[in-house]
Amino acid sequence: MALDFDRSLLGREFDRSEHEPVQAATLIAFARSLGASDPCYVEDGPDLVAHPTWVVTYRGHKMFPDDMPAFFRGQMSFDAGKDVDLGAPIRPGDRITIVSTIHDVYEKTGRSGGMVFVVLRLTLTNQRGDLVAHVDNRFLYKV
Amino acid sequence: MAATRSYDEVFEGDELGPMALQLPADQVRAYARAADIHFPRFTDDEAAKREGLPGMIAPGNMSMGLLTTLIDGWAGPGGLRRLGTTFRAIVRPDRGLRLCGAVTEKHDDARTVELDVWIESDEGDRLVIGTATVALA
Repeated sequence: MALDFDRSLLGREFDRSEHEPVQAATLIAFARSLGASDPCYVEDGPDLVAHPTWVVTYRGHKMFPDDMPAFFRGQMSFDAGKDVDLGAPIRPGDRITIVSTIHDVYEKTGRSGGMVFVVLRLTLTNQRGDLVAHVDNRFLYKV
Repeated sequence: MAATRSYDEVFEGDELGPMALQLPADQVRAYARAADIHFPRFTDDEAAKREGLPGMIAPGNMSMGLLTTLIDGWAGPGGLRRLGTTFRAIVRPDRGLRLCGAVTEKHDDARTVELDVWIESDEGDRLVIGTATVALA
């Protein structure tokens, strides 16, 4: 399949969301649910930081831009994986802003036929403007 | 916060784990609550079956968290710089799992290592595979 996709959509911000300050109790509950026991993840205090994969819990308001091709609307997708690049750790009280972009769209052919992958990139920054993480979400669409 | 494992004591081919894990269904539910995920497939067997799944499953994000716990246990918290994962098959609770990893490359200038990490079933099927970059002491 040759997907007709306007590559000028790539890298263009289509959503920005600001989140409420992070709560210590929320971070601790998350870390404990993973079986983490390091004090820096599960003990409230000045050294508490978010478990590194807390960043993948964030979502923007919109999954895709409004002008994303019709092929992707209402089509079932699969969570194919994620790539996370970590920056500054998240601490209680931090206010995280998320900027959403479509980072890549590509096609592959597998055993079960054609597939299209969409990479949704969420860029997380804190209230000081520090980069917290790039989270690339890979969605798979069967053609 | 920085990793505690010394870069100089690590060699390509060193293994992480394997860490055996049963992953109780209640732990998956606790994760879903803590991560603010509200899809019934992550909390309820019957609801998951209605979606065509064999039963309740663990979120892919949870698999990333479990692999990070393996990495932190090996390197000490604070060392993880990058984690990439591919979800190849569903991870179901209440079944035997193993968290595994291996050092594939060292970067002397940055004192970082590249890892292959994966979650495998008791039968040896790799359900989640990934790579990571970790900064060591």
